[in-house]
Amino acid sequence: MTFLALTAAQAGLLAATTVAIIIGLYLLKLRHRRVLISSSILWRRVLDERQSHSLWEKLRRIISIVIAATIALLIALSLARPEIESLTGKNERIVIVLDTSPTMNTNTSDGKTRWQHAAERAKSLLDSGGPTTEFRVLDTAEVTASAFTTDRNEVRKLIDTMSSKSAEPHFPRVDGRAAQVYFISDGVAIHSTPSFVKRISVFEPANNVGITAFEIRSVPSTPLGYEAYLEIQNFGQPTEAGLTLSGPGGQRIIKTVRLETEQTYKDVFDLSQFAEGGIRATVQAKDDAFPMDDVAFAYLPIKRKTRTLLVTKGNRYLETALKLDNYVELSVTEPASYRESPNIDTYIFDKFAPNAPPARPALIFGTPSAPWLKPAAGEIQKPEITTWSEDHPIMQYVSVHDVAIERAARIDADNLTVVAASKQTPLIVVSEKPKWVMLTFSLEASDFAFHVGFPVFIENVLAWFNRDQLALKRSPGIVDVPLANAQVQTIDGKTVPSEQQLGKTIFLANEPGLFAALRGDTRVHVAVNLANPTFSDVNRSIFKTDRTAARQQFWLRRELWFYMLLAAVVLISIEWFTYHRRITL
Amino acid sequence: MSTANVTLFDDEFLKKLEYLNIISKRLFAGQLRAERRTRKRGTGLEFADYRAYVAGDDFRHLDWKAYLRLNRLILKLFEEEEDLPIYFFVDSSQSMSYGNPSKLDYARRVCAALCYIGLANLDRVNVISFANGIKSEMPPQRGKGRIFKIFRFLMEITPGGETHARASFKTYCTETRRRGLAVVISDMFDGNGFESALDILRHVRHDIFVIHIASHEEIDPMLRGELQLVDSENNVSREITITPSLLAAYRAEFNKYCEAIESYCGKYQLGYARTVTDFPFEELVLKVFRQGRFLK
Repeated sequence: MTFLALTAAQAGLLAATTVAIIIGLYLLKLRHRRVLISSSILWRRVLDERQSHSLWEKLRRIISIVIAATIALLIALSLARPEIESLTGKNERIVIVLDTSPTMNTNTSDGKTRWQHAAERAKSLLDSGGPTTEFRVLDTAEVTASAFTTDRNEVRKLIDTMSSKSAEPHFPRVDGRAAQVYFISDGVAIHSTPSFVKRISVFEPANNVGITAFEIRSVPSTPLGYEAYLEIQNFGQPTEAGLTLSGPGGQRIIKTVRLETEQTYKDVFDLSQFAEGGIRATVQAKDDAFPMDDVAFAYLPIKRKTRTLLVTKGNRYLETALKLDNYVELSVTEPASYRESPNIDTYIFDKFAPNAPPARPALIFGTPSAPWLKPAAGEIQKPEITTWSEDHPIMQYVSVHDVAIERAARIDADNLTVVAASKQTPLIVVSEKPKWVMLTFSLEASDFAFHVGFPVFIENVLAWFNRDQLALKRSPGIVDVPLANAQVQTIDGKTVPSEQQLGKTIFLANEPGLFAALRGDTRVHVAVNLANPTFSDVNRSIFKTDRTAARQQFWLRRELWFYMLLAAVVLISIEWFTYHRRITL
Repeated sequence: MSTANVTLFDDEFLKKLEYLNIISKRLFAGQLRAERRTRKRGTGLEFADYRAYVAGDDFRHLDWKAYLRLNRLILKLFEEEEDLPIYFFVDSSQSMSYGNPSKLDYARRVCAALCYIGLANLDRVNVISFANGIKSEMPPQRGKGRIFKIFRFLMEITPGGETHARASFKTYCTETRRRGLAVVISDMFDGNGFESALDILRHVRHDIFVIHIASHEEIDPMLRGELQLVDSENNVSREITITPSLLAAYRAEFNKYCEAIESYCGKYQLGYARTVTDFPFEELVLKVFRQGRFLK
């Protein structure tokens, strides 16, 4: 027995003092009330008979002292918060790490999921702890991290709110010296844990045919064509799997394939007949226990040539680059002949700007004077590009760090987005409304046109102006979109709660799906798919061979002092009852 | 007469005595009253026997008819008729002062009532107060007029001392040889046992009637808790804890004690009546009469 509130010596002294006081009080003679009776003959007979024949009569006083001393001891020692390891477990800290990887959603033979089994195991761990045991719950998504607490109900409620979510689980950092660490997992997504971690398995073999890859890509031979690449794999018993690709216009491709164990099926599907929008791929197989990888999404954009009007007095590099772009239908005119036309998708102004902003987006080179543009406030000689934003769609795959510029205009970039700048002045600025991009330097005053990134930059700008992009690929869990202050919607228009973080929009997607992040005219599609053979292989568990940890159950659920006070109350009640019936003294 | 006398033997009490006297006469109608036939031959009216005349015999009792027939002087013998001695042994030990009313007061009333009836029947009434010996004794009384003397005697009895009935009876019986009716009025608490005391009376061939007086406090004591019980007779004390089971055991022991006395009396055909102090004394007296042992 150990004491949490006192040292052993102090507790011993307390116990000895208590017993001494109780015995001392008993030794003090209680003054008996004097009663005169006619004759003591009969009383003497009764008492002699009872005292000589009843062991109880002999022990009654001793038993009374023992009961009183026990009550006092129970109360006194309960203040010292005693602990008996065999009854209550020792005072320890337990960290429960719950695997929240997607494979925990795998169904088991009893109809529950591995996650539900894990939650039950976690709760039984709570029950196994002693009254003073402190618990902490973590997950592999690094979303849940409670503080140490002895309040089991609080921990239970926390476990009830948790769910399997992260596509990229990581074993959290825990200190194995300060606590016992239990990891409840199916052993699929996380194979290695620190040596001090005790692993508890919820693994059970299961059948699964899952989509391991799905994407829409351009057809190299057909500039404006798209195809879908689909890859499925069987991680269970041999089975037949049905594949379905469905588009927003009711288009559908259905196929059935026979898959042996571990067999992978890969196929490419022509989407030329599909309308613009979300494409859904599904796979159905008998006894499939893991539904999360049975569906995948992608976005099919409509690709057509951008009707572009280049307004220039003559710029060979720019004109050549645009002519070589397969997605551009180019018209060239001089500034004097410029007329806005409804048949133009994009304007490119080379050292020229009309007095009124065009109705369609514009790419402007140099800093021409126009009321709707920022006026130049001088020139900067040989500015160096020191900062640029790789996250902006027009700068994707564009490297500008080695672009040499002879001179650039100094402008005020208020209300504009600067995507590239020197220390002195912005060099590439973007206006969201009206939509235009301006370079504060001319192509002739730089070597930007000779860089490999230039055609990409032109393509990015034209795409950002007019074209839908392929969807960004993300995994279930916390999804980030490189578009600040965007509203996130599902493909059928329902708004998804989102947050802003470091210039990105973040939202939670526990299931595969197609989402759209919207900000003004800008729309970014996000395809959230599991599509990961690591997760689809729900049988690749370390628990096929590893042993699961077991834990001793303890009787008592509260600290010992609670039961001691309870026992004291019971003894006091018994003593009260027996005393008033003169059974005890 | 003192105030206590007035209270104990007031006019009401005297009326009850008269009533008891009348009742007792009806109960014993047709029987001899105050004329006790004894084995002695004497001057009574009842013929008993004959014997030969010897010198000095009374000529008046010679049977002349028998002389004519037999030519011998034969003397007629008649049964001697004499009064009955009744001995009232009143326990005046300290334990008799217990109860409300006290057992001694109750004993006084019962004794007075029986004395009155005895006096009315021309019996010789003796009242003896005893405890650890003969404390006081009243000379034999006859005639109703002596009742007030008995009242005074009874009122002068004071409780005190332990009960030693055997020693008391032994002392009395060695001094008084004449057989009679011995009425013992007591609570029967004798440390040496009452049986041996009654044996003394039995051995001198007294008719014995035991009137056992108890108080409610003795039959069903209302005691609780940690007590020091003090014996009123010898002041010996004992500390005990009164429990319901102990009280039950006491009640059982009391019943057993009473049954033992009753059983003893039954065994030797002694009269026995047990009463409590709040039982009307006149009904007790009638109960005694109905038993048929008090007056024969």
